[in-house]
Amino acid sequence: MDMKRDYYEDIRLFKSGVVLFWTIALLLFLFTLPLYAPNYHVYLLNIIMVHIILAVGLNILVGSTGQISLGHAGFFAIGAYGTALLMAKLQIPFVFAILAAAFIAAFFGFILGLPALRLEGPYLAIASLGFGLTIMHIIGGVDLFGGRMGVKVPPLDLGISQLGVAWVLKTDFQKYYLILIITILMVIGARNILKTRVGRSFVAIRDSDIAAEVIGVNLTVYKTLAFAVSAFYAGIAGGLFGFVLGFFDPFTFNMILSIIFLVMVVVGGLGTVSGGIMGACLITYLQYDLLKNIGEVPYFGAFMIDISQRWFTTVGLENFSSMAIGLIMIGIIIFEPLGMFGFWIRMKKYWMTWPF
Amino acid sequence: MKFGKKMVISLFAALTVLTVASIAQAALPAGFDDNEIRIGQWGPQTGPAAPWGSVARGSKLLFDIVNEEGGIHGRKIKYFLRDDMYNPAQTVAVVKELVERQGVFAFVGGVGSATGMAVKDYLAANKIVWVSPSAADKEFTQPLNPYLFAQYPLYKDEASILAKYIVEKLKTKKIGMLYQNDAYGKDGLEGVKERLATYKMSLVAEIPVEPTEKDFASQILRLKNSGAETVLMYVSPTAAVITLKTAANLGFKPQWVSSNTLSDYPLMFKISGGLWEGVITGAFSESPDSKSPLMTKYRDAAKRLTPQERWGVFYYAGIAFADPLVEALKRVGRNLSTDALLKALNSFKDYQTIGPKVNWTEKQHQGTDSVQILKCGPGASYIMLQDWMTNDLATWKK
Amino acid sequence: MPFGQLLVEGLAIGACYGLFATAVVIVYKTSEVVNFAQGEMAMFSSFVAFHILTVYQWPFWLAFVITMVFSILLGVLIEYLFLRPAKHPSILGMIVITLGAEMLLMGLAGWKWGAEQKFFSLPLNPSVTYEPVKGMIVTNWAIAVFAVASVIMLLLYVFFKYTKLGVAMRATQQNKHAAKIMGIRTERVFSIAWGFSSLIGAVAGMFFASRATLDPAFMMEPFLRAFAAAVLGGLMSIPGVIIGGGLMGLIENFFGFYWPSWKPIVAFIVIILVLCVRPSGLFAKHYVKKV
Repeated sequence: MDMKRDYYEDIRLFKSGVVLFWTIALLLFLFTLPLYAPNYHVYLLNIIMVHIILAVGLNILVGSTGQISLGHAGFFAIGAYGTALLMAKLQIPFVFAILAAAFIAAFFGFILGLPALRLEGPYLAIASLGFGLTIMHIIGGVDLFGGRMGVKVPPLDLGISQLGVAWVLKTDFQKYYLILIITILMVIGARNILKTRVGRSFVAIRDSDIAAEVIGVNLTVYKTLAFAVSAFYAGIAGGLFGFVLGFFDPFTFNMILSIIFLVMVVVGGLGTVSGGIMGACLITYLQYDLLKNIGEVPYFGAFMIDISQRWFTTVGLENFSSMAIGLIMIGIIIFEPLGMFGFWIRMKKYWMTWPF
Repeated sequence: MKFGKKMVISLFAALTVLTVASIAQAALPAGFDDNEIRIGQWGPQTGPAAPWGSVARGSKLLFDIVNEEGGIHGRKIKYFLRDDMYNPAQTVAVVKELVERQGVFAFVGGVGSATGMAVKDYLAANKIVWVSPSAADKEFTQPLNPYLFAQYPLYKDEASILAKYIVEKLKTKKIGMLYQNDAYGKDGLEGVKERLATYKMSLVAEIPVEPTEKDFASQILRLKNSGAETVLMYVSPTAAVITLKTAANLGFKPQWVSSNTLSDYPLMFKISGGLWEGVITGAFSESPDSKSPLMTKYRDAAKRLTPQERWGVFYYAGIAFADPLVEALKRVGRNLSTDALLKALNSFKDYQTIGPKVNWTEKQHQGTDSVQILKCGPGASYIMLQDWMTNDLATWKK
Repeated sequence: MPFGQLLVEGLAIGACYGLFATAVVIVYKTSEVVNFAQGEMAMFSSFVAFHILTVYQWPFWLAFVITMVFSILLGVLIEYLFLRPAKHPSILGMIVITLGAEMLLMGLAGWKWGAEQKFFSLPLNPSVTYEPVKGMIVTNWAIAVFAVASVIMLLLYVFFKYTKLGVAMRATQQNKHAAKIMGIRTERVFSIAWGFSSLIGAVAGMFFASRATLDPAFMMEPFLRAFAAAVLGGLMSIPGVIIGGGLMGLIENFFGFYWPSWKPIVAFIVIILVLCVRPSGLFAKHYVKKV
């Protein structure tokens, strides 16, 4: 099923005509979705897409290069703060502002990559966690960045103010299309990175970094490059997130957010772009929509309220959502270590080899 | 396949431009109909800020009482309470869901200034009235937002009033401050400094703490070293308890003064193991055991309808926040509309229930700036030190 | 300059961090898993102790014993239900499982006891203080922490060196398959290791709770500090992490006194610097992987 006959087949973006057809159908669906979905769903989709960009980037680092990073909330924050402040204070047009913020985030990613050359496993996790917390603390402490009161994000103006051209995107609906286009570009970019020499070096580092060094992969360059690339993705995601949300403060980017990002990647499937997408969709949807208001679900809700009154406290019923997310996370890892992408591959294999 | 790819992408780019340029905004569902008025609130029911979730549940109690008494001019109130985990992204999600799916007429309360700021513009753009945010951020009312009516005294004003009390009545010369490193703590610090500047005094120590930190030994030691006789605490309840316990361990016994967020004496007394006795705090509503008729009525209703909830300061604060909205709806009458509600709200003059006097005009939506000053007596009782007083240094009134 | 007092306070809270870090290290040494749920397990056990004390009104020593038993069972249960069924999980997979267990426990505690802060105290009189040297006030709490930490350290040392079970645990950590061949039931060793670490974590949790308030999220911050202390000391050596904990406490307290606005992250900056120089922590031997 996955046999490739020559190099050019391997690096093709679409494996076959069938894949291309379904991809076009999916794109068609995505582009017309907001026309008939309620507006708050569009907001949720915006957040999901921002998380997709970030999860794809983080997957390049964690899944393909095998490094752990618990500090990506920091790069996310750099992207958000950078874009908002560059546009508000220096009047830089949107496209340049978001790219500049992403490059700043990539630079800090590179800095994190340097100690990562010697660390691995839990040591790297703590180092990245500390790095993320330090970034947040510095951003929160400097009043130039709005300090602890937070930053009000300027309107999303796609035009160039110096030339007098303005194209403001006000509603979620309009922002959806911008974010969709950027997401598609980043996802295609990630797929392409993984198929080139750089991507193969990342995978070699993950499988055995000493052996990779022996065959000539320059560890310093490629490890820091992995950090920088994933931080770049996080920066772009952060910049868009700022506009989706409208207002943020340093506490929005806390350690729990970093942990949720890591969970998205692992639950979705390490090492694959589709895995990152699926994980981001599932975890964001669970957190924001599916498990809220348990008490209002028709029969199950009344049953839960009844149990709560007898043995637990009723006021804590909302905690059911964290319990459910925890159980889902554990369930996915236990039953399918490859994550949701593993489920997908299993289903595909089953149907492709049916009825044998 | 390269040509196919380019064609596909350019086709969609063209489609996008056309759709974006031509789509119209769908209308929102109405917030009320002949039988019910829909009111919503967000609050942290889970997560680190969950103790503040009692505000939202307190509002529910008031609406239940109103519905029991027959509703407002024949309409019952349907109340939606949503958990946002103190995360602004989730607040926006739940507010949008309520406004666009259920159709909400007004919002009440809402804990957190970051969460409130995230939804403030959305609510104003959709002409949804928002009464009494449960957070004191001056950006809510300056610049003037015609749909937002604030009732909670600003932290800066309260800190100023407390500082004035300390200097004039307690007559201490060395004042230190322990503040949380966020908008709440920093506003308090500003208020204190402003007031002290008029007396030509300054703080002997101003020490920041992180909201989630649990170990304050070094900070308290620094306060002790500075010789402060009175210490202002602008921190969260947990941090205040840790402060008191650590200070008792270190043999440091200044006069502790704090803001109204720590004015729930029964709770603070219990979780500090009795160390809370003697602490002075501000207060923005009557004490829980007050004998006034409204408090008695609400207390009895709570015992009857929600016996598992503790009758805490922030639980009935939810009532105090929701009350002006209920009163304004009653004043409007049967002919309900957003403009009528705005007119009714803008005409509130010296309206007082279980909190301070509330004044709203067309130009000024910060309803109150007065606080009481109370002291914790033995057994978590409330001793009134100073009745409602306003901050004369406040600049926003001019 | 209250140097002495800072020293005492730093060492006291450092001993607490070190105790908690020991729990993390025991699990890491045997099953190579970083247990992110350690904080919540300790929190849950502390809540159980609180429940017994307030709802059933039983005396403290009885509540303590029951909580110890409960925490051992909790650790064994989590290992049995969540970690054992995972077939060949990767390191990240196991981390996510522990994160899932953490969210589950936190939600369960919030559901059962509500989110409001609760009061928890050990039967140590807080106002009795000793002042051995002028300017150094030592409280009962600090003495208790030191005492308990030393006793546990001693017991662990004896356990790992002389008892059969301890030797079995060390063998399992060094080479799991060889241990299996030698007849050691590695599955049971894992469960026992988790039970132990949960027990130590619960003791440390109760110490933290008596210093602060008890609410579902109170162990998140101490867990982070303890984990950082464990990394500082080297995740493979128990005396190392106790010293790492002490160092963390001292660093935090000294910086907290002089530059309070940087206190939260100074610990992490120090750790990152230490890790740059000694990648496996201060006291651990750097095991070189076979390629």
